[in-house]
Amino acid sequence: MSGYDLAVVGAGIMGATAALRAREGGMRVVVLERDVAGAGASGVNAGTLSLQIKRVGLMPYALVGHEWWRHAGDAIGFKQTGGYTLAFNQREQAMLEDRMRQKRAAGAPIEFLTPREVRAREPALSNRIVAASYCAEDGFADSTRTGTYLRRLLREADVELREHSPVSAIERGFRVTAGGETIEAKRLLIAGGAWTASLAAMLDVTLPIRVRTNTVTVTEPGPVHLHAGIGHATGLLTLKQKPNGSYLIGGGWQGVGSPATGRGRVLAETLLQNLRLARFAVPSVATARVLRSWTGYEAFVADYWPLAGALPGVPNAFVLTCVRGGYTIGPCIGPLVADLILGREPALPLFDPARVNATASPALAAAGR
Amino acid sequence: MNEHSLRIGNRGAPIHFRFDGKPIEAFDGETVSTALWASGVRAFDGGRTYFCAMGVCQQCAVWIDGTRVEACRAVARNGLDVRSGA
Amino acid sequence: MTASYDVAVLGAGPAGAAAAIEASSHGLRTIVFDEHIAAGGQVYRTSPRIEGNGDADGDRLRDAFGKAGIDRRLAHRVWHIERGDKGFGVYALGPDGPFNATAKTLIVATGAQERYVPFDGWDLPGVMGLASATVLLKSQRVLPGKCVVVAGAGPLLYAVAHGIVAGGGRVAAVVDAQPRHAWWRPDVLSRPDLVLRGIAWLNALWHAGVPIFRGRVVRSVMREGEALRVCVVGNGRVREIACDTVCCGFGLMPSTDVTRLLGATHAYEPSLGGWHVVVDDDQRTDVRGLYAAGDVAGVVGAAAAPFQGRIAARSAARNLGRTVDSEGKRERDRAARFGRAMTRLTQVDDEVIAAIPTGVTMCVCEGLNRATLEAAIDDGCATINDLKSATRCGMGACGGRVCEDSVARLIALKTSRTREEIGQATGRSPLRPVELDAIAGDFDYDALPMPAPAPL
Repeated sequence: MSGYDLAVVGAGIMGATAALRAREGGMRVVVLERDVAGAGASGVNAGTLSLQIKRVGLMPYALVGHEWWRHAGDAIGFKQTGGYTLAFNQREQAMLEDRMRQKRAAGAPIEFLTPREVRAREPALSNRIVAASYCAEDGFADSTRTGTYLRRLLREADVELREHSPVSAIERGFRVTAGGETIEAKRLLIAGGAWTASLAAMLDVTLPIRVRTNTVTVTEPGPVHLHAGIGHATGLLTLKQKPNGSYLIGGGWQGVGSPATGRGRVLAETLLQNLRLARFAVPSVATARVLRSWTGYEAFVADYWPLAGALPGVPNAFVLTCVRGGYTIGPCIGPLVADLILGREPALPLFDPARVNATASPALAAAGR
Repeated sequence: MNEHSLRIGNRGAPIHFRFDGKPIEAFDGETVSTALWASGVRAFDGGRTYFCAMGVCQQCAVWIDGTRVEACRAVARNGLDVRSGA
Repeated sequence: MTASYDVAVLGAGPAGAAAAIEASSHGLRTIVFDEHIAAGGQVYRTSPRIEGNGDADGDRLRDAFGKAGIDRRLAHRVWHIERGDKGFGVYALGPDGPFNATAKTLIVATGAQERYVPFDGWDLPGVMGLASATVLLKSQRVLPGKCVVVAGAGPLLYAVAHGIVAGGGRVAAVVDAQPRHAWWRPDVLSRPDLVLRGIAWLNALWHAGVPIFRGRVVRSVMREGEALRVCVVGNGRVREIACDTVCCGFGLMPSTDVTRLLGATHAYEPSLGGWHVVVDDDQRTDVRGLYAAGDVAGVVGAAAAPFQGRIAARSAARNLGRTVDSEGKRERDRAARFGRAMTRLTQVDDEVIAAIPTGVTMCVCEGLNRATLEAAIDDGCATINDLKSATRCGMGACGGRVCEDSVARLIALKTSRTREEIGQATGRSPLRPVELDAIAGDFDYDALPMPAPAPL
């Protein structure tokens, strides 16, 4: 039976864009997805594509990823609306100015505006703004369309996608059992988002991945008051209004849950704080009716840098997850990891997973040398 | 109630409010949807006066004094400013 | 700061009211929430201050409910519930603003909603459900129309037709999907009083010259000036009927949004109205402290509901250390037989779903027609949640309550999957749309407890 050159676990933005690049490089690729494409973070996030909220060190990746989204365009509901980051007191102003200067130096076209300038451009904003920054490149996409879009790209590129195929066992070399069938592949990329740790564990590799349970809220369509995307100096608010008038409110307020037991739950106290902050920043949000709140899982490691590179102790295995701002950055870093898998030099540095004291069992590590 | 009315039986005190600027008569205890329905308003921009009649379908949602509510759940009161659009 | 209770009951219909009264009779601190301004649920729905609505059973319920030692929160919209160490946190919005409570036990008695089945023209003004028509007739004392076609299946069909005639309106036709003999089942005879009432209704309709078509369904409704033209098919016949209003319904389905949100196990059984929360003989769900009583646990009717409510309350009382024996189960099961027989009559044939034209909007909130949904199903969507992700079906303001059942039938028709495989939409909060300002309330920005800022 013929095998694959690469098996990718996870059909989110990470796994799918890596698979596409590997295919471009001539590999025979299969993507194994436990649910449907984009069912994880890629499909349930608030859709923010903002350079202002990216980590300074990830800015070069964000700039590349951003272009991919622009190119995806209407298919993913991409809108380049510009974005503002707001500060409401001196502490926040200091934080804003310091952070945005660094991000500008890292390549994001960010400018500072006075409160009056901001309110002239966006009358719907709070009159308590003390300081603000603006980036014309910022925008958002409709994250609910991600899965359908990725599925189409994979199909057009002749990458085999197996949905509803959760991986239950992985043997080195590799034999991967997913959805009741076993496939063989010379190389393996684990891009399972919040489920990555349990996948790595199938190869006896322990990755100290933790998971945040981020809350997102959508309101009923209605009159449009806000045109640009809105952020907060602390990063604790993202707010945008879609063309039909629905507001999407995020910012990483925590619900509760664990990937092993299914979708997480919203907690009223954190939800209400998120909504209060939104209303404070954009008063017109007040009369919108909340239709739905949900949570999505975001994987991270303690230093908040990605895990992108070789899976420690397992030859020909790779991992890609824990990318903060991963929705924007995925289309950049996925192909970079694929380049590594293809034996090419990635155009930007990757992030060695071995740095996080990832451990493979000694016996296996010895066998791998 | 005259023979052309959809109302069944007697009613209490009359109530007056406006829907998209038009005067609408209601009676004590009626919902906004009932008043509209009995006045011959079965649909408006973006919705229907009655479909589920129990606050589930949201097709009767209107703006009342700046707040969005289901018309079938909103009790008619004197002076309400009810609008189909914001 | 948040008031705390032994028992919180959601819904003040026959099941919820009985549960609350019973719970408080055992000394349990009890609170009840209901969105309506009066108790009675849908079956005994009334609006105070409108003359002529209400009935003896409903009035008796409201009387006992009003006298019981319970905290009554009527006109309160419960928008969120979460389960924590202390029990259940209930978040509601009342006439005076937010009101929250915690309770060790939660009894869900949220009843049932109408089952909506799309057909060509179901989204026209003047088309509504049968339960909807019941609300208009009983609690608002207004006719659905001057000349009405009443269609669908189940007991509401004749209740509505009779109500219109008794209220001075005209019924242009009754269109019953079931053949006459479908009504005559042994369980129906367990309620001779209701059988006699049904016969009296039929008699009144006959006297009023109302034609009754059996074994037929509404195929389409078109607007013709101010009027509606209804096309009725069945038994190889096609007939057109003019009217100004169409009331069409196919029975009730349990309202499981709360039980889904709280993660209880549900099962699918057509003779119970479809998806319902699973309860044991003591009305317990598989979530600790969570009980369900009334139609939410399976549409078996108003007579069984108070028994279920009292059994749930007694079980909760035992759980909280009161010595209470379990009783009423035989009566509950006996009372359920008639209601269950009625529910069996409301099942929708595959043919009715198959006949929906491709251009008909099936998800009204998001404007999705059958063709769009079928394309996504052809593309691989095999579950309700898949279809939701791919098309936004069910993500609108009604949360899929109107479209989910028929869309699931569509998936079943095209993929031959079972309803269990197709699944239900994941429960999400808020349970109903709520104004952001109303739930957020007033606050002081500087007092907002902000977590640590994002890493730079």
